[in-house]
Amino acid sequence: MIPVVSHLRQWVLLALFVFAGLGLTACGPAEPVTESAPPDMRRLTEEQYRNIIADVFGTTITVSGRFDPLVRTEGLLAVGAWSTSVSSAGLMQYEEIARSVAAQVLNETNRPLFAPCQTSDDTAFDEPCARQFLAKVGRVLFRRPLTDEEVSARVSFARRAADSLGHFYDGLSFSLTSLLVDPEFLFITDFTEPDPDQRDATRLTAFSKAARLSFLLWNTTPDDALLIAAENGDLHSMDRLSRHVDRMMASPRLNNGVRAFFSDMLEFNKFDVLEKDSIIYPAFGTAAVRDAREQTLRTITDHLVTRNGDYRDLFTTRKTFMSRPLGMVYQVRVKAPENVWEPFEFPADDPRAGIQAQLSFLALNSHPGRSSPTLRGKAIRNMLLCQRVPDPPADVDFSEFNDPNSPSKTARDRLSAHATNAACAGCHRITDPIGLALENFDGSGQFRAVENGAHIDTSGDLDGILFADGAGLGQALHDNPATTSCLVNRIYAYASGQSLSSRNEWMAYLEEGFAADGYSITALLKRIASSTTFYAVAPADTSEQEFDLAANTSPVE
Amino acid sequence: MVFNSRHLPLQRFLVSFIFASFFVVAGPIQAGVAEKKTLGFVVTDWNTAMYETLFMDECPEGPTPGNYEIWEASVTPEVRRSYPLMLFTKLRHINNRGRNGVNVCDDPVSFDDPPLKIVEGKYAYGIDLDGNADGTATPKTCEHKNFTSLNGAPGIDNQMYRLMGCVEAWKSYGHIENNANSHRLSSGLGMILIEVTNVDDTANDDSVQVGFYRGIGSYNLDSSGKVLPYASYGIDHEDGLPRYGDIVSGKIVDGVLKTDSADVHLPFFGNYQYMNQVFRDMQLHMELPLDGKPVTGSVAGYYGVDQFYSYVRGMLSTFPNRHKFSCPSIYVAAHQLADGHPDPETGDCTTLSSAFKFDAVAAFINHPEQEERIAGSGQTSP
Amino acid sequence: MGIRYPYPTSRRALLRGVLAGSAITVGVPFLDSLLNSSGTALAVGTPLPVRFGTWFWGLGHTPGHGVDAKAATGSGIGFKGETQALATHRDIINYFGKFNAPLDGRSNYPHATGWIASRTGTAPDKQDDVPAPTYDLLIADKIGTRNRFKTIDLSCTGNPRHSYSARSTYNRNAAEVSPAAFYGRLFGPEFVDPNKAEFTPDPRTMVRQSVLSAVKDDRQKLMRQVGVSDRAQLDEYFTSLRELETQLEVQLQKPAPNKACLVIDPPQDDGVQGNETGVEITRVEASHKSFARILAMAVACNQTSVFNVVFSDSNSSLRRAGESVTHHSLSHEERMDPELGLQQQTSWFNTRSMDALAVFIGTLSSIREGDGTLLDNMLLLAGSETSFAKNHSVDDIPFMTVGKAGGRIKTGLHINGNGDPVTRVGLTAMQVMGVSIDSWGSRSLQTSKSVNDILA
Repeated sequence: MIPVVSHLRQWVLLALFVFAGLGLTACGPAEPVTESAPPDMRRLTEEQYRNIIADVFGTTITVSGRFDPLVRTEGLLAVGAWSTSVSSAGLMQYEEIARSVAAQVLNETNRPLFAPCQTSDDTAFDEPCARQFLAKVGRVLFRRPLTDEEVSARVSFARRAADSLGHFYDGLSFSLTSLLVDPEFLFITDFTEPDPDQRDATRLTAFSKAARLSFLLWNTTPDDALLIAAENGDLHSMDRLSRHVDRMMASPRLNNGVRAFFSDMLEFNKFDVLEKDSIIYPAFGTAAVRDAREQTLRTITDHLVTRNGDYRDLFTTRKTFMSRPLGMVYQVRVKAPENVWEPFEFPADDPRAGIQAQLSFLALNSHPGRSSPTLRGKAIRNMLLCQRVPDPPADVDFSEFNDPNSPSKTARDRLSAHATNAACAGCHRITDPIGLALENFDGSGQFRAVENGAHIDTSGDLDGILFADGAGLGQALHDNPATTSCLVNRIYAYASGQSLSSRNEWMAYLEEGFAADGYSITALLKRIASSTTFYAVAPADTSEQEFDLAANTSPVE
Repeated sequence: MVFNSRHLPLQRFLVSFIFASFFVVAGPIQAGVAEKKTLGFVVTDWNTAMYETLFMDECPEGPTPGNYEIWEASVTPEVRRSYPLMLFTKLRHINNRGRNGVNVCDDPVSFDDPPLKIVEGKYAYGIDLDGNADGTATPKTCEHKNFTSLNGAPGIDNQMYRLMGCVEAWKSYGHIENNANSHRLSSGLGMILIEVTNVDDTANDDSVQVGFYRGIGSYNLDSSGKVLPYASYGIDHEDGLPRYGDIVSGKIVDGVLKTDSADVHLPFFGNYQYMNQVFRDMQLHMELPLDGKPVTGSVAGYYGVDQFYSYVRGMLSTFPNRHKFSCPSIYVAAHQLADGHPDPETGDCTTLSSAFKFDAVAAFINHPEQEERIAGSGQTSP
Repeated sequence: MGIRYPYPTSRRALLRGVLAGSAITVGVPFLDSLLNSSGTALAVGTPLPVRFGTWFWGLGHTPGHGVDAKAATGSGIGFKGETQALATHRDIINYFGKFNAPLDGRSNYPHATGWIASRTGTAPDKQDDVPAPTYDLLIADKIGTRNRFKTIDLSCTGNPRHSYSARSTYNRNAAEVSPAAFYGRLFGPEFVDPNKAEFTPDPRTMVRQSVLSAVKDDRQKLMRQVGVSDRAQLDEYFTSLRELETQLEVQLQKPAPNKACLVIDPPQDDGVQGNETGVEITRVEASHKSFARILAMAVACNQTSVFNVVFSDSNSSLRRAGESVTHHSLSHEERMDPELGLQQQTSWFNTRSMDALAVFIGTLSSIREGDGTLLDNMLLLAGSETSFAKNHSVDDIPFMTVGKAGGRIKTGLHINGNGDPVTRVGLTAMQVMGVSIDSWGSRSLQTSKSVNDILA
């Protein structure tokens, strides 16, 4: 049986020389000497796959199909991707998607755009055209130039397929399909080479460095400039590499990277299956659900990227963006026309402040027909503070607390019953006082002052800090040291697949730097992307005895 | 006091002045002064107020016959058989049964159709519009029969109900007004917006202003087709001035808004007919909710006979015979029953006293070039 | 790891054959002449294929309101209360009671441990850990490789993650959620009607196969470049690749005709509103009904030999429109009715789940195949993840087999497990389906004891 691949990787101590005076980070302490992990590989996420297809072939190419799910690990799907392979059913889907993409790319409308030359006779095989097309596309999809041999193999495959199908572009299309189902495309692999500057040391190839950087900052495949830099060897010079970091940080595509990270961290994949009862929450329809997700992502990129704001202020900011469908749930005037977003600021006395008081968070962490202080409290602990809330015990009889004749009207009344049961109280004590502060917002996130006719008490506490309402909770999150250390941990795990303890020296360095940079995410990203640690690898165990290279050869060829 | 923005330059000026003054009253520069609230509503349902009894006691002669029945009764079986078999063609012929193929609605006085069956009941919705309990003629009204309100108040003027109350298709279960409502909801046409401004106290305020606008865009519906509250709607305007936009004064008494009598223009769409309706001496009553739930309201006023007939005529020419009334009977009866606004020359009344009911939900009304105006429904906005 | 599949001929040879313009067309005589006189086997001697499926529902039964307890194994299943709808099908069902899931002190992760232990033979050490492959995949490895789809996974809740089929924690099968999309994949251009007299291998299928072959050619090079842990990841990929190759291979051969196979109409009311699916019970039921109809044809047309249907998730998020609580919340929060001895609303959902199973069984048994029905040539294993949701008990989880598995099993029996590990049920199912296995499971769930009572 195939062993389960653990996300916990074996650590190897690798001494790194810290290059002093490179000026790679804005300010703060120098990068410490630290350990690095062996090279690894991760499966493309669905979003990365879609981004690449859109980048390479344009947004008119549709990618429709079902992707094997990733398993959320250490709070992130991106970390799970480092352990995930492709199931049989999943590969079948990849193959179907690949054929569909290839057919669209080379259909009569699109082929003039993508195929670099035109054949006069579609039945004749135009070798230079095929070669040029496959070399060009292969380079972007594989994130490295294909060798002449590889290109020739793809070209000759295209020729055989074209001969068999009687059409040049059909052959080319199947050759493109072969690139799209190739593990070199589907997996982002750390390829390594001996480090010429250090005996017995290993370094990532320039192309693997380019991929790390590009997927971190833009969540897509390296662009042409980055690939050229890799070809030139520029990425092995930290100085020249940092220039690329600057270039990429300045690009509007940085928003895509930041959105991808926060979509993952805030578990926005749950939006795909979010269900709210349309009778109980009539205003929270399809358009509002779609816009709720977009609203939070816009708030985040506006605050963190456009304004280069303090990450902690994300939990207190009243600035956001509004659309017509959201206006009905928030019950506010929206002046912008349909399908247009407008900047919006909640008044200073409004209970809404921070992204935890936006519809996305409130609705995702609720039941289909009612709010849940417990789910919300748990989400804040897990997602925003990186604290683990234990699963509920298996054998608790909740119905003891749900007497239909009970006078309980509000969630607080109902949950207070848990406090009387020792088995429940332990966990509910760490979730409910947080979640109850958001009880002014129902299961769809709409404001309410009363529940079942009773006034809602939104007081609560977070780790000893008392507050009166959701805005107070936001301030407590803002001030909680776990908020920023969690973010640093998550972002580095997102970047590298490694979830490190805060006691780790490198994490401590990043956290100090984050504070010194005024909790700027862009500065943090830059610090990571410009560090030696981010690109460092320990030598891989490539011993062949553990692996029978001959085992899987085709029985017929 | 009433201003209609489409009329005189002076009125345009005055409207502009009022708009400008809102900036001052409602704008942020008034910090420190108790904030004036604005309440917006979008009308979701609009119906003629019909008092209907279970066994149609209000119509002792039964429902009024349709064009088809009138024709059928007026011709011999031989003539009947001579008409085309195809139903639609046949109906068209019946519709054009006048001399030389004249349409029944085009020249209603040239037919001698039986008189319309009208309401003979005692009770009706509506209000005493003319202040005259016995229905005798006054300088402003023609002689007419008054109704009694359901709670016993005398002098209720509602000749529109008397006219249409025995037309089955017009009743609450009939298709005419139901169709019109669903056409509005699906098209967004004829959307009426009501905006109450200058509100200090939503329970009792002796001086507020009420504006009537046409909304543009679609209604915001939930998945079951109901209009959602708290949506934002733009208003139909030209050069920054609303095409509709009459503003009348009123007051709030125990949570019920009442406007002073004034002429008001309201948009209309239904049964594929568009109208710029004029309600003369209109008064609006409407409860003001505090929870975003749908509200009901009513308007009473005088409705022009010609305006009403043009609606009926347009409807009947679009769908011959479907509507179970005939133009000639309606035309004649409408003129006979008209009780308001006598023509200064002929002395014949030109309007019908009437009452309508409507449903509405809270909405935000976006005015052109009104960026500074404070957002907020003034009701449940947190 | 190498699994060798004998190829009847070289793909490239086939490809060259097509290239030469010699498309293979196979004329077929009347279908009936292909079946033997009893209709149980193809005339050439190949028996009708036996298929395997699972049907999952969340939250089990209310104790005492599902099936009459029996002191000993015997014939006659006492369906009642929540399972009343199954009574009409009692002759083709076996009910397994009193089979337990001993956890050896491991945590009982609510709504996870039950399905993981019973489907993988190993209790998880972490929430959502899948420590071993689920049995449907082991069966598919045995019988599913010669079909167009190795397995078909369907979720009636609209959530593709509601799937209880996994190779490992990180290798899970996503479920199809839309009946219309499922229909499209099944009966799309690549569908080959087995009853069509003419058969021409699709040259595109050959080229598709060659695509995979070309990818595989780079395997060794790639394997050498990566570390040991990555090789395992890649190895799973290449295993999947080989399986897909084999599935394509099958499509290049003339399929065995089967009168039961019909190209049915696309789904109309399939529980999907616009693009939305969901957990509102009537939508789930509509979706399930549509899925059942299409799946029956996927099986009859030999497009798959293994399927997994999830009616509701293990945390059953089923709900009624306008109600604020889900089936799962109700199971914990609803008060026991002291007179009836059950939670009324929870029990209502349990009952609807079993009603749905009855619909599923009815759909499969309505398809005539040979001289019986589809179910005669199938082993359907229906089960839940808990016996009593209120306290998450993983002992006495209800399991049933439905169908006769091609005459390999007896039916109509109530089996009393007397507290034996639930893995006995899975082991027996695998053995019936031809998996060469004599022992399965780990720690206290390890067993080598088949449920011989049901074996024919």
